[in-house]
Amino acid sequence: MSQKFRIARAAELESLGVLRDFIHDQCARAGIDDATTYELKLAADEACTNIITHGYAQMNPGSLILDLEIDAHQVVLRITDFGHPFEPSEPIAPDVQAALDDQPTSGFGLFFIYSVMDAVDYRATEEGNCLMLTKRRAPKVVPV
Amino acid sequence: MQFLNLRLKQTPHKVAPDPSAMSVSQLLGDYALPISIRAVNSLPHDARQRIYRMLIPPSLLTRVGINPITWRATETGACIELDAAPDTGSVKIIIRDSADSSDAFFTLDLSDNSFNGIDLHFLLLSDPASERFRTDVDAQGHATLFGTTYRNRAEEERAMRAGLAPAQIRASLGMSQVVLHQLDAFLTFLSHHAISLEPLTYASAWVFERRGFAYMRGHKLMDDIEREFQAGGKLRAALDGSTPFRQPDQWQTIRGRTWAIHDGILEAMDARWNDLRMVKQVGKHAGVNTAPGVPY
Amino acid sequence: MSSRRQLQITKVKINAVTIISVTGSVDALTAPMLAEYLAREIQNPNPNLVIDFAELDYTSSAGLRVLLSAVKAARARGGDVRLAAMQTNVAKIFEMSGFNAILKVYPDRARAVASFAA
Repeated sequence: MSQKFRIARAAELESLGVLRDFIHDQCARAGIDDATTYELKLAADEACTNIITHGYAQMNPGSLILDLEIDAHQVVLRITDFGHPFEPSEPIAPDVQAALDDQPTSGFGLFFIYSVMDAVDYRATEEGNCLMLTKRRAPKVVPV
Repeated sequence: MQFLNLRLKQTPHKVAPDPSAMSVSQLLGDYALPISIRAVNSLPHDARQRIYRMLIPPSLLTRVGINPITWRATETGACIELDAAPDTGSVKIIIRDSADSSDAFFTLDLSDNSFNGIDLHFLLLSDPASERFRTDVDAQGHATLFGTTYRNRAEEERAMRAGLAPAQIRASLGMSQVVLHQLDAFLTFLSHHAISLEPLTYASAWVFERRGFAYMRGHKLMDDIEREFQAGGKLRAALDGSTPFRQPDQWQTIRGRTWAIHDGILEAMDARWNDLRMVKQVGKHAGVNTAPGVPY
Repeated sequence: MSSRRQLQITKVKINAVTIISVTGSVDALTAPMLAEYLAREIQNPNPNLVIDFAELDYTSSAGLRVLLSAVKAARARGGDVRLAAMQTNVAKIFEMSGFNAILKVYPDRARAVASFAA
């Protein structure tokens, strides 16, 4: 049995905190550990920030829909939007030293998403763009 | 698929197959590939009729005495028209409660859009038994185009007091849920995953939110409107009683807000009611609610 | 609990070191506020800053980008930015991004301040 939760908000930076709170509250209720919750919030925040600042750029922003599905083994986060789709590409580990030496810095967000999630899938279709992030739950330690 | 360089796709948002792949031969071919309205319109009359019959909820037809299969009325005189000309990408279905009635009480207008999806252009569901308001023509007889070009203020005021929203000429039939469920089934039949529309008024956006639509554009505008109607907001302040459509208590209902917006109140927040676009994914309810707790 | 606290930034000065405490969450919305605050502090010559993260509940990459430009600017003016008292989850993303290689991180504010005297 899985539990499903959904929240829909306008794609604006003001919504980021609300979306993180939503993940925080549902994860707490489902007994997800702190570290996993933080990683889910981080991945969702980075992805939504990209959608808000690039996907919905130059228009009155549309919706961001966040679906959270939690079962005994994993947490699946689906982020749906209806803005411009992104070009699929490989994430690159950011080079902080180069960044410090005055080279352009970007790509941290994408790198974090891939680093903290177990699976990342992106689809742009007629019905909208959907980013699916999967995080396996830490196995419960059974005391002997 | 790997995700998300910060690069956006340079080509327009067009992810469905090309129109040539959306031909009616798909009826016999891959059931997952979408069929366009243009393709359906290219069919012989009877086949076209069989397909578009699926657009109208049978209960709506039997209610006015129209046979849902033959589309003929036995005794009531109600009639239904299908406008789906070959070589066009649109379909319009009109139902009148009598053949000599100039007003349709039901109109549904769909068309292919440039992204190979389907747009809902127009959905009218009005109660033919309710009072008719002449908000659609001004005092000189010009068509008002829902009050967007000309306005018949005296008649609008009467309509507002009778509980109508802007752009309505009669009270609503209250069947939008049934009609939109039927539309979901029709889209599934054509293998389309979503439908989009531009909400004519604030009230229609509100209704479509409740029917499961989300925003492609304009979600923020709806949030801004909600915020500015709260105490201390710019729209609340603009409800100054200066016209019959700007009375101080109008922020309390969706209809009241819609009349004020129709009257141009968005100027107070440097915004206009345009360029909103909504989308519904077939079989899904987005759960958007930009005016929590506000009654219609 | 809903974890979100408003972003709050306060400072105290101990000798030549300015300690900046950051409370709440840093994301793409609030990062510009932190960036402005730090930029003002760094205008002074030899800006020696300790940023105390004991009360920082959350940061995204937006916060890291702000720190990156702050440390760059501070070093260019003969100073430095050093970090103290990060919570576990925040510390993890600093490590992950390789920030530990370019920024000095201390377990508490006292040691971070003392590091400037050394």
